[in-house]
Amino acid sequence: MVKITIDGKQYEVENNLTIIQAAKQNGIHIPHFCWHPHLSVSGNCRVCLVEVEKMPKLVIACSTQVAEGMVVNTNSERVVQARNAVLEFILINHPLDCPICDEAGECKLQDYAYKYSVGQSRFDFEKVRKPKRVELGPNVMLDTERCIMCSRCIRFCDEVAKKPQLTFTQRGDHVELTTFPGEQLDNPYSMNVIELCPVGALTSRDFRFKARVWDMSSTDTVCVGCARGCNMKMWVRNNEVLRLTPRNNPAVNDYWMCDYGRLNTFKHVNAANRIKAPMVRKDGRLVEVGWDEAIAKVGFELKNFKKNEIAALGSAYSTNEDNYLLTKLMNHLGVKRIDFVPHIRKGEQDDLLIREDKTPNSVGAREVGVRPESAEFGFASILNEIKAGNIKALYVIDDDIAADPVIADALLKLDFLVVHASNENETIKFADVVLASSTYAEKYGTFTNFQGRVQRNKPAISTLEHDRILDGMALSRLDKFGAPNDRWTTGLKRDTRASWRILNSIAAVMGAKWKYNSCEDVFNEIASTISSFKGLSFLKIGTGGAMLNKNKETVTVKS
Amino acid sequence: MSDFPDKLLLPDIPNLHRIDVYEQHGGYAAIRKALAMTTDAVIDEVKKSNLKGRGGAGFPTGLKWTFMPKQTSKPKYLCANGDEGEPGTFKDRQIFELNPHQFIEGCLIASYAMGVRATYVYIRGEYVKWINILQHAIDEAYAKNYIGNKICGTNFSTDVYIVRGAGAYICGEESSLMNSIEGDRGYPRVKPPFPAQVGLWGCPTTINNIETLTNIPVIMNRGGDWYSKIGSSKHPGTLLYGISGHVNKPGVYELPTGVLLTDLIHKHAGGIHGGKKIKAVIPGGSSTMWLRGDELEGVRMDADSLKAAGTSIGTAGVIVMDEDTDVLKVLARITHFYHHESCGQCTPCREGCGWMEKILKRFMSVDGNIEDIDLLLNVANNIEGNTVCALGDAAAWPVQSVIKKFREEFEKRIGKIPAENKYIPPPHLVAKSG
Ligand SMILES: Cc1cc2nc3c(=O)[nH]c(=O)nc-3n(C[C@H](O)[C@H](O)[C@H](O)COP(=O)(O)O)c2cc1C
Ligand code: SF4
Ligand code: SF4
Repeated sequence: MVKITIDGKQYEVENNLTIIQAAKQNGIHIPHFCWHPHLSVSGNCRVCLVEVEKMPKLVIACSTQVAEGMVVNTNSERVVQARNAVLEFILINHPLDCPICDEAGECKLQDYAYKYSVGQSRFDFEKVRKPKRVELGPNVMLDTERCIMCSRCIRFCDEVAKKPQLTFTQRGDHVELTTFPGEQLDNPYSMNVIELCPVGALTSRDFRFKARVWDMSSTDTVCVGCARGCNMKMWVRNNEVLRLTPRNNPAVNDYWMCDYGRLNTFKHVNAANRIKAPMVRKDGRLVEVGWDEAIAKVGFELKNFKKNEIAALGSAYSTNEDNYLLTKLMNHLGVKRIDFVPHIRKGEQDDLLIREDKTPNSVGAREVGVRPESAEFGFASILNEIKAGNIKALYVIDDDIAADPVIADALLKLDFLVVHASNENETIKFADVVLASSTYAEKYGTFTNFQGRVQRNKPAISTLEHDRILDGMALSRLDKFGAPNDRWTTGLKRDTRASWRILNSIAAVMGAKWKYNSCEDVFNEIASTISSFKGLSFLKIGTGGAMLNKNKETVTVKS
Repeated sequence: MSDFPDKLLLPDIPNLHRIDVYEQHGGYAAIRKALAMTTDAVIDEVKKSNLKGRGGAGFPTGLKWTFMPKQTSKPKYLCANGDEGEPGTFKDRQIFELNPHQFIEGCLIASYAMGVRATYVYIRGEYVKWINILQHAIDEAYAKNYIGNKICGTNFSTDVYIVRGAGAYICGEESSLMNSIEGDRGYPRVKPPFPAQVGLWGCPTTINNIETLTNIPVIMNRGGDWYSKIGSSKHPGTLLYGISGHVNKPGVYELPTGVLLTDLIHKHAGGIHGGKKIKAVIPGGSSTMWLRGDELEGVRMDADSLKAAGTSIGTAGVIVMDEDTDVLKVLARITHFYHHESCGQCTPCREGCGWMEKILKRFMSVDGNIEDIDLLLNVANNIEGNTVCALGDAAAWPVQSVIKKFREEFEKRIGKIPAENKYIPPPHLVAKSG
């Protein structure tokens, strides 16, 4: 530890830190473009220049190590002057096209220009022109004129994605970011450069021009693309998910997420094939009905089967709470055959984030009881028993199991199939009752990732179940302002429900006396009955998650 | 100047570039002598000589060598810097052409002293002819086992390779040079870490200029004490002064440090064309501050004297301008050079060099705007000291010194340009300056 002084205040910090790190730890923001806590130091933007007593020149805070007795000034006249100069320099050849730039509102250059620059340029020449709309790869677009040459994107590809695909060419104010000859920016993590880019040089080809950032709300949640469960933010405008961005969690994903997760885990939320209300099969066709009718129908039908004629499939896509209540319902009915269908893609895994288990909650589903007591009750046996005509009724939540033709074949044999589904899919074609379930973007809940980390997921999209304002969901400018009669958000609200809530209603018609008013109630019960969850609460999980207790659950859930 | 020593680097010996001739004149005795000494003793000798680097920064060579770690599991490297990109500088070329073996021998002594596994001689790409000469000399030295495995029958092995540059001035900056050798973009590295800790391929590395290394065999042969008495005591030795511009006999002159700048120009370089007066002198390559013609009296060509005169010795590339020179045109050309050669890595230099050139070009092509002089100075001040490498300073210093010393040359242009060419600044700038 060393004692240093920053802006007149003394701090004790570890001695292997740089000034910028020491300042950050103590809540002092030193402006920076090129420095990033998870990338090597390049020291090129020069906006973090600070004054250190006894050093003749200003030094860059990102590469200067602290030392005993060091006196740092981040706001002296010299520093202010140099910072202003750096910002003036950066802006002279910058296109200043904030009004049409996707980054506006979350742009470091914009923020710093407001905060640290006098705001008037003395440059009155023609700017250097560089290529616009360069397709660097399938997912990322480059505006070379906006680039401030911080090299974060290059270092990310080299150091994190370990795919050197980007480089600079030319010199001086003609420097251009580009891909190596014959290369594209197409590594599985390429879109992280979009957030890394402190300006609007690198934009998402998927999201470009869809919304101004201040018109969106952002909700802290987790990705469901694989068993990693990368922490992320879900961005919503007009009740429509527009983009996902990673959220730093050192225990899970650092600052990153993969392109697959970012692009393929939200489109179904907005899709036209969403199931908008419960449906019951009448004369061979699925017909929309009210919730009460659909639930009564399920209750009525299930009573016709013996407990060994019924099986249930939970889902590794569903939350711990959904799976827990499915287990509990089956226990109530005395049904022993319960399992879920794993979605493993062998080998599709790497050393950074991507897991071959393409579901977010296999560990959680198993922990809360969606696991057969023995192989004879497992999925393979369930399938055989259906084929053999011994299992006549099947309860499936949130998984398109019929996408596998072998399973689809077996489903034809059933007398009764209940399906929770958010979107039209193969499985509902065989269903007698379809219960319109909320996607992960529309509900509260927890997932347990492959590490055994329990993480929270929150609704970003409001449904008839969750009101954006009454339920304290994240608000955008569009949501916040305007009188109640003319709120600008007019997006569609669907009549879907979280699977745990649907199961709760089914249980009620089947004679169970459960009392859950919220997802949190369900979780609290999990925490009090399942030993691996002991001691956990929504509060404790917070935004960063919490680990399951070491010795995993083996206790069965009581009805 | 009776105690004038022999020429140490470029003696007048015909065919000295041939290894047999070099050997006949005592060549490769110094490396044998060094190999018989301890490495510490060799470094001590260099320290005693008080030799200062000839690449521009004038860092004490012996001290630099001591920065190399003694205990390390990694190979150590020496980079011999022959990029010679500084405008007004053309001395290392003479060494390659006339005395390549003495340079090689210098590399070998340095390698032995620091335990260097290989020397990379980085030479600017345009020097094809000199690269060929040096390669031939290296081949000769390999054939005679001065370089290679177990040199001169000892247990010390070391190699020498030439790396050809691809035409960027910035690759003469030592850390950029290492990146270039590694096959990366010629971007200077942020220091620390310094090359002696993390250099070429992450290994301990020392970078020395060609001329610096060529002095080493002399120091070995005649001793550090002897060497330290040549020329100015704090900056001893001989220098290869490269003189260019409006002198009658431009060229490279080997003379002791500390000669009078006026002697250099008038006695050695034959005075000014047509007997004209001197308007300005750049004493140490384009990166050094300018001197006015009336400031030259008594200025000596060594680090201290030039420092006192407000400039520096740099590469000892002296550029002389006569009274008819348009200093703005020269400054604009130099500024264009730095704009063109800025690597573009760090903000102030990348953006500022181009801005300075634009202001100067406008000043020259349309009627000047008085505010532009201060703007130009301010831009230079905003670059200076705030960049990753010294190129930013090198770009700022000429501008600062010309504005300081020749402000009237700017002012007198204003109003001399036809009205239709008149520059009209945008209103917000006029309002601001008013
Ligand atoms: C922009 C720039 C260009 C340089 N070019 C050269 C060069 O061409 N040759 C050279 O020897 N040193 C050059 N230098 C200086 C080197 O960085 C380094 O200081 C020198 O090679 C060290 O050698 P010395 O200690 O023997 O002087 C340059 C420095 C800068 C900042
Ligand atoms: S594109 Fe963005 S991240 Fe990459 S160098 Fe330019 S400003 Fe930096
Ligand atoms: S000062 Fe200029 S040449 Fe040196 S690193 Fe910065 S941009 Fe490159």
